[in-house]
Amino acid sequence: MKLNLSDNLFGFEQPDTTGQRVFRKMFELFIVVASCNLAWKWGIYTLRISDVVLPLGVARYVDIAFMHGNSLPIWNAGLITILLVIGFAGLSGFGRWSYSVTFGLLIFQYAARFSLGEIPHSANLVGLGLLGYALGRITFPDSLSGNRFAVGFSYLFVGLSYTFAAWSKLIASGIFWPDGRHLWMWINEKAVDEIARSGFVELNFVQEWALSSIGLATVFLLFGLITEFFAFLVWFKRFRYPVILAIIGLHMGIWMTMDILFTLSVWELAILGLPWAYLIDRFLNRNQESNPPGPPILN
Amino acid sequence: MKEKNLTKKAKTIVVTVLTVYLLTVATNLGEFWPFSIFPMFSQGGKTWSRSVVREIPPSDSVSWDVSQLESLPGLPFSVKSNGVDPIDLANFVSKTTTWDSVRVAALERMLFGGATPDRKLMIFKVQGRLTERDGVDVAATPYVLISPGIDLVNPSL
Repeated sequence: MKLNLSDNLFGFEQPDTTGQRVFRKMFELFIVVASCNLAWKWGIYTLRISDVVLPLGVARYVDIAFMHGNSLPIWNAGLITILLVIGFAGLSGFGRWSYSVTFGLLIFQYAARFSLGEIPHSANLVGLGLLGYALGRITFPDSLSGNRFAVGFSYLFVGLSYTFAAWSKLIASGIFWPDGRHLWMWINEKAVDEIARSGFVELNFVQEWALSSIGLATVFLLFGLITEFFAFLVWFKRFRYPVILAIIGLHMGIWMTMDILFTLSVWELAILGLPWAYLIDRFLNRNQESNPPGPPILN
Repeated sequence: MKEKNLTKKAKTIVVTVLTVYLLTVATNLGEFWPFSIFPMFSQGGKTWSRSVVREIPPSDSVSWDVSQLESLPGLPFSVKSNGVDPIDLANFVSKTTTWDSVRVAALERMLFGGATPDRKLMIFKVQGRLTERDGVDVAATPYVLISPGIDLVNPSL
């Protein structure tokens, strides 16, 4: 097994294939669409906000109230959309900087939207993915190396993010974090959220199971903690796909027990976690074998 | 040679980003989007606080008594139907320390989007805690009443 982290993440020295090119473009398209989606979603919601309860991130340095009570979030979302299209088109000149400017504007969009106290983590992976493309474009000499860097950067921060999450749990609650009663608390908490959201709540069978057995609830939490703790293994190609599938399983578990689905993160993991490049190359090779080139045309 | 330079450049960028990452989260309570220490669900077993809204029929009197979740006064009200994220509402209520007129007006704007209230809504703060008998106790305290004529705040706050 290769333990060189640079080779595992970026693979600058490895030959490029059609499958890898398609995979990288697919991932970039996902980051572009997801960033655009966030810009509009956050922008439209910000129109309802008129007070800052908890300033987050950049809002701790800049009075983010300038984005409240006017249509600035919508203009910002529009500008972000145009810049994302320019970035995806791969234009030279200013085009190389478009993802970087987008990243900066999205930081303000986030701070304006999340000034009411909620600290969500559903869009962090998309933000880190966009940062990877922004840095790849402005620091690498060509699109091939820049895009390879961006994908490797995402693998690096996917692993780091989930491992950080495990450490946060262990530091805040100690080794007894997986105590099944903690899951009972969160199931009740999310049930109250559902009552607020829709007016009523009905527990699903997984929630009923977890509430009926402290042992089962503990197993659920233990699986989540172990998966997060070892998430850094996605840095290494050998472990990448099983670990990402386990993280997707973790998200499915969170969805079933706590009714929280990080949709964008799951999509991103599904793109990063399946061997798309290999499958595309294999498909293309098979087609070439079944359709051998015809005899050379003689002039 | 070119590949080695690319690898060296990638390492430099990653080290720089990690340094910025650690500095920003260390100086900003663990959050500087998209950087984070990802503390979600790290507080196992700690008391939590959320919010629910109930619609109070015009003929019903207003009570500021604490109730259990199963016996809340009034009718179910969906904040989603008014385009509100329940977690925003919960944080707004739990993180507000002083319920002045500005804060109540912001809550009204959140729920009614700038339109004049057309019904009486009671906003509850709901708290959950583990009991000694391995159960979860959930209690709801009325905080603010938003109504077409006048907004009221629980006098005991």
